[in-house]
Amino acid sequence: MTEQIIFYLLAAVITLAALGVVLLPTLMHSALCLGLCLAGVAGIFASLGSDFIFAAQILVYVGGIAVLILFVVLLAGSASGRITRQINAQWLPALLLCGLFGWAFLKIVAHFSFGLAPQSAPEPTVRALAGLMLGDYAVPFELISIVLLASMTGAVLFGRRKAE
Amino acid sequence: MLEYVFILPLLSFAAAGLILAFGRWLPLKGASAGIAVAAWGFSQALLLFVKAIRGGITLPYEVSIPWFSFGGSQATLGVYVDGLTIAMLLVVTAVSLLVQIYSTGYMHGDPRFKRFYAYLSLFTASMLGVTLTSSMMVFFMCWELVGVCSYLLIGFWFEKQSAAYAGKKAFITTKLGDLGFLIGLLCLFYATGTFEISKILELAHAGAIPAAVAGTAAILLFLVAAGKSAQFPLFIWLPDAMEGPSPVSALIHAATMVAAGVYMVARLYAVYALSPAAMNVVAWTGALTAFMAASLALTCFDLKRVLAFSTVSQLGYMMMALGAGAFTAGMFHLTTHAYFKALLFLAAGSVIHAVHTNDMREMGGLRHKMPVTYITFLLGTLALTGIPPFAGFFSKDEVLAAALARNPYLFAVGAMAAAMTAFYMARALVMTFHGKPKDAQKYDHAHESPAVMTGPLILLAAVSVVSGWVLTRHEMFEKLVNFEGALPFELHHVSHGAVAVFSSIVAALSMTVGAWLYKARPEIPALLREKFSPVVEMLEKRYWLDAFFLKLVDIGDRLSAFMFSFDFNFLDQVVIDGWAWLTLKLSRLQGWLDDHVVDAAVDVTGAATLSAGRVARLAQTGLIQNYLLFVAIAVSIFAAIAFAG
Amino acid sequence: MTLSHYLALSGVLFAIGLFGVLTRRNVIGILMSIELMLNAANINFVAFNRFLYPGRYEGHLTVIFIITLAAAEVVVGLALVMAIYKNLKSVYVEDYNILKG
Repeated sequence: MTEQIIFYLLAAVITLAALGVVLLPTLMHSALCLGLCLAGVAGIFASLGSDFIFAAQILVYVGGIAVLILFVVLLAGSASGRITRQINAQWLPALLLCGLFGWAFLKIVAHFSFGLAPQSAPEPTVRALAGLMLGDYAVPFELISIVLLASMTGAVLFGRRKAE
Repeated sequence: MLEYVFILPLLSFAAAGLILAFGRWLPLKGASAGIAVAAWGFSQALLLFVKAIRGGITLPYEVSIPWFSFGGSQATLGVYVDGLTIAMLLVVTAVSLLVQIYSTGYMHGDPRFKRFYAYLSLFTASMLGVTLTSSMMVFFMCWELVGVCSYLLIGFWFEKQSAAYAGKKAFITTKLGDLGFLIGLLCLFYATGTFEISKILELAHAGAIPAAVAGTAAILLFLVAAGKSAQFPLFIWLPDAMEGPSPVSALIHAATMVAAGVYMVARLYAVYALSPAAMNVVAWTGALTAFMAASLALTCFDLKRVLAFSTVSQLGYMMMALGAGAFTAGMFHLTTHAYFKALLFLAAGSVIHAVHTNDMREMGGLRHKMPVTYITFLLGTLALTGIPPFAGFFSKDEVLAAALARNPYLFAVGAMAAAMTAFYMARALVMTFHGKPKDAQKYDHAHESPAVMTGPLILLAAVSVVSGWVLTRHEMFEKLVNFEGALPFELHHVSHGAVAVFSSIVAALSMTVGAWLYKARPEIPALLREKFSPVVEMLEKRYWLDAFFLKLVDIGDRLSAFMFSFDFNFLDQVVIDGWAWLTLKLSRLQGWLDDHVVDAAVDVTGAATLSAGRVARLAQTGLIQNYLLFVAIAVSIFAAIAFAG
Repeated sequence: MTLSHYLALSGVLFAIGLFGVLTRRNVIGILMSIELMLNAANINFVAFNRFLYPGRYEGHLTVIFIITLAAAEVVVGLALVMAIYKNLKSVYVEDYNILKG
């Protein structure tokens, strides 16, 4: 029962925050909503028993990406959000399409009736994940670090002031 | 010892590069590097020579590494050392060393001093390459390099029109000879399937090469040797090559490069020995050259040219000896000649350095001013003319004996050339060093050369005096350099002693007459000149050989002019222009078709594409989100189709 | 709670994100919407892993890779946004048209 209350609560938070992200006219508010939404997703991960992903979500998404976006909003976002339209001209077809998407998703889920309950209690995942990362998936893991390095270098390159 | 012999040419190449790049910071502006390398090379050659004579090393020695392969054959880089190689090695390194030492004095203060030494080192390296290589392919490469160095050094003072011209002439004339090289080499390759000298010799000794092929290859290769070694009729370049600095004449045009042709014939002697015709060509060309060049030297007034003609004539002797089947005698003469001819050139250089002219008519009486030069020149002259017991006596005597053994006529031509040699050398000696000074101003300014120049002269003079005697002790040279294969003809037995006595008497007599004529009665030669003016003219025009070659060029010119007019009048006017007219007419027709049929179709297609583009353009809003919407719609449609199906 | 609940939540989140991508004029807003869509996918991965393959963790691993890549994408994306903003003084995508022929 508690479990259900928590889930619906989290679902409500996520949905509302996500709507805030896409609909609020002030970019600052959108960014704050994004942080809330990501935290909600982290809660969902926790409820699914994924301790490590929960931590990673909080650390990387909420602590890193959301804050980074907030910074850029502060740097680049003008205060004109209230005056200028933030939604473009094709909002009606987009709304219809997305409504269709959402409705179709729900229909599909209902159609295949994944009414599956968890078959076992959640276990700690960190040890097993570490084994995978340094075992079978060592090469993709290292590749990912190269991608990170490259993106960092690229970001520095773009952000650098031009030599005058 | 032998294992490291391949370093010699590489070291010289390195020295050339070093001098060119860093010469300015080396002691003596880079000369030190060249001299050091040459000295080391000489010490190695001497050591090899001593060891070879004492039987301390087994010859022939060969080592090579693969270079590249073509077809089923393999080209290699390597060294092939036998007695012949060691004798040549000794000549090249010794003369190169002494000439380089001498040049520090002779070229002192020249603005291109550094470059001169770089060229000398490069030349030495190439010459060592020719001497040592185990493959005819590398031999060819080094051969051409030697030619390039010769060109560069003859034209070293290229500001002088005549020097630049002489360099060009030398290069082109020897190139004419080189025409035969590749063809001859390919002939040999066709017959033997290899460029390895050792294998070619092996097959030739075994008689595995057909005589006809061997003869063709041998004669073609002799053409090359004739170019480099200045044999008839290609000897015209050598007198002009005297435009180069005297040390260059000594090193390249007396001792080493011109001997390379002889060396090549000796190197492939087994191939020559297969064909009597080739042997005869070699012998008679040599004899003819010896005679002609000696006669040309009689009337020449340029000191260095006299020596140049003398060189040509002596090279003819060597060829004659080889052709007559006297392998050892030919190579022996090459060795001794290298020393005394280098000596004569260096002494002449010393004289020219002092009086600043080549013309003997402006010299005279110089023996008081330049005693060392005079004595050494005298010793060189005695060695060249073959007065016992000087070096030339031993070698020339053997050559003449071989000629007599082969054919009395060869001997007669050789003996006449020997007599003339003695005569013109006496003439040169007297005109330069004896008598009254003809140009007082030049005489007053003349002075003995510095020690770096007289030192090599004295050394070479010593070698010229004793080398003949030393090398014939216990048949030392013959043991080192000998040809073991069979000759294509029988040689008659002749007494060496009789030939020796005869040739010495002839030489001494002729020399005395020459000296007496020019010293005591200088009016007689002048009278003779007038009396026999047609002969003198022939000699001064060098048997019209220069004119002959110029005529050859002229004929070539005329032929070209005719070909040009044929090309212009017939090929251009009739064939090409007619074709062009036809093409023009056809093109007009085609142009009309193109305009009215093909282009129209193209235009319609273009217009259709344009209007289609106008319609399609409407979808291209340039807004990325617009495109995304289309994508999303498309995805949803596909999904719908997938689920419906 | 069943798998369906999670999938439904994920679907709704994805639809909202897609709407954002399609309609926001502000380029930073678009980036944020993309994050929403990625999160929807993450929820799917974890949920499937939890319900269909308990005891295995490849789904989790994939989510970690996605998070990492998302971080890289945001870093480069924001750097680009800053660079473009410096040049064009605008954050609205309609203004990003200087490549138009």
